[in-house]
Amino acid sequence: MAATMPGLRVVIAEDAALFREGLARLVESRGHQVACSVADGAALVAAVARHRPDVVVADIRMPPTHTDEGLRAAIELRRAYPRLGVLVLSQYIETRYAARLLEDNAAGIGYLLKDRVADVADFAEALERVAAGGTALDPEVVSQLVRTSQQAAGLAELTPRERDVLALMAEGRSNAGIATALVVSASVVEKHVASIFAKLRLPPSEADNRRVLAVLRYLQP
Amino acid sequence: MTPEAHNDLVGVTGPVSPAAAGQWPDRRPGGGLVRGIRAAARAPFTARALRELLFCAIEAPLGLCVLVVPIALLGLPLTATLLVRGAHPAPRHTQPAGIVAFLGPAALFMLLALLVLAPRLARRLGAANRRLAGRLLGEQVAGPAPIPGGRGPVAWVGATLRDGPGWRATGYLLVQLPLAVAGLYAVVICWGAGLVNMTYPLWWAWFRNHPPGVRLSPVPALTPFGVLHVATIAGTFAAFAAGAAMVAAAPWLTRAVVRADLWLMRGLLGPGRLERRVADLERARALAVDDAATMLRRLERDLHDGAQIRLATLAMNLGMAMDRLATEEDQSGLAEVRDLVGAAHQSAKDAMTELRDLARGIHPPALDSGLPDALATLAAASPVPVRLTTSIARRPSQAIETIAYFCAAELLANAVKHSGASTITLTVTGQPELLLLRVADDGHGGADPAGSGLAGLVQRARTVDGRLDVTSPPGGPTQVTVELPLHA
Repeated sequence: MAATMPGLRVVIAEDAALFREGLARLVESRGHQVACSVADGAALVAAVARHRPDVVVADIRMPPTHTDEGLRAAIELRRAYPRLGVLVLSQYIETRYAARLLEDNAAGIGYLLKDRVADVADFAEALERVAAGGTALDPEVVSQLVRTSQQAAGLAELTPRERDVLALMAEGRSNAGIATALVVSASVVEKHVASIFAKLRLPPSEADNRRVLAVLRYLQP
Repeated sequence: MTPEAHNDLVGVTGPVSPAAAGQWPDRRPGGGLVRGIRAAARAPFTARALRELLFCAIEAPLGLCVLVVPIALLGLPLTATLLVRGAHPAPRHTQPAGIVAFLGPAALFMLLALLVLAPRLARRLGAANRRLAGRLLGEQVAGPAPIPGGRGPVAWVGATLRDGPGWRATGYLLVQLPLAVAGLYAVVICWGAGLVNMTYPLWWAWFRNHPPGVRLSPVPALTPFGVLHVATIAGTFAAFAAGAAMVAAAPWLTRAVVRADLWLMRGLLGPGRLERRVADLERARALAVDDAATMLRRLERDLHDGAQIRLATLAMNLGMAMDRLATEEDQSGLAEVRDLVGAAHQSAKDAMTELRDLARGIHPPALDSGLPDALATLAAASPVPVRLTTSIARRPSQAIETIAYFCAAELLANAVKHSGASTITLTVTGQPELLLLRVADDGHGGADPAGSGLAGLVQRARTVDGRLDVTSPPGGPTQVTVELPLHA
């Protein structure tokens, strides 16, 4: 299984040395390059300024306060470098954190449970997707955010099947990926996606952009 | 140990070091007597003696004026009766009955009024005394707990009559009366008359320089042992000596009065033994509750940084191994390894899920950034839609936040499990002294406040003097209100 996007430059921020080294090994095993590994938010910001990576992987809870340093650093980095992919990892999924992260733009954002690194291929894929400007949200983030945004306009008109498709889109999956997950053909998925765009009143434009908009509409509380 | 070092060591607790020895009073026989006399001579003019004198001078009339209140209250009806009698002289045979008919109820009324007012008046006067002691003597006596408030005159009177500290303050005022007399004696006789007596030799020469043969009556000089009649210049020196002795004794008398008064104040004006015990216990409990919260927090962090991260790393390594195995060309004998690694992989993932749930149950990490964030996550995880409103101006203590969070979690879970509700409203409001948490649902009601879940919450709220009210009529809706103090 070769990496689909070789040669990404990655900066890793994680305070637990063991896990940090494992992450670096994982990233390198997929043919990417770890430009720098740091242990707190401030060092992350500095490392990004120096190395200009394609994507960062950041733990949310790091020294000194062990609350949301990584998240704050991630938001700061997104403001400073709009094209930078940011994948945050956390032991827990907190709805407010996800909402803060997705506030401006869901493109190039990932928010995954740390557990997900156990599935190496999926994790690497998520990292590459985020680096390419896609989204990678943990299924738990999606399910939490969706529950809080059920009354949102347009969403009520969606059929249960369309909701399933939209949830998978929010996780960052492509049409082919959604088709595999739901065990249907790609053309059925395409039909659902078109219907979702229509119901959410998203005008036809660049397809990726519409996907992100749909997901955002879906997730915004 | 060198002798120097030894001296230094001892010097910390006692003045034995050679350098300091010179400054200490010599122990020669006779030195003690001289020092005693010097101290006695200086005693009346130290700042402390003067402050104590001032304290007595203010305190004594204040104490004596207590007598005025009952005299006035009981004297008033009597005076009124006499006035009435004077204005309308009644026929002779009805007079005694008329007086009794008026005086009896009036006196009774005044007595009752006195009874009802006494604790509150005594509290005021007691507070004035405590302030005076604090201001003049630097002796801080803690005040009693405020009188419990009540609405309406009946509650007001009831609270007054049951006011233990108020009655103790009344007792203080009564017991303090003899002290006030003693204080007044010290001020007027010892200080006042003593100083006057000391002036006799000064003015004698100017006002008593009459031609020989003129006989004048002797001048009286007031002393504690009677009046001294001074008729000659030698007599003025006797008056001076008596005055000097009085002024020398005065500070000791005022000091004795002040000591006794402070002792009474501490016993009767401060918080009672039970009250102090309650205050101690409250403090201790708050510490214990906060301590427990801190411990749980540390436990959560240990889990997060320890076991959880270890497992995540293990799972990641195993994942990479599996990845490698899957891509290997040579498949001989690898099937078994793959199965083993796969099983280990799965168990590591399961353990992570378990640990996460455990850690979140011990201390929800989102609580670190406050109740609103933690409750938002909680509400989002509920299968029944939750409408969450939070307005908390002042952040409650950690323990209270934790209790509020777990109450909310339990109440939401209850509503989801038992009520059949389609929406739940969770409202948290911070008031100046209280945190109000309300969970309401539109379900079919009938929740049993004595059920194990709710009873546990009541218990939990009670550890911090909080309360929990349930209204859940059959057919619904259910509303549970939790009231917690802002600080445990």
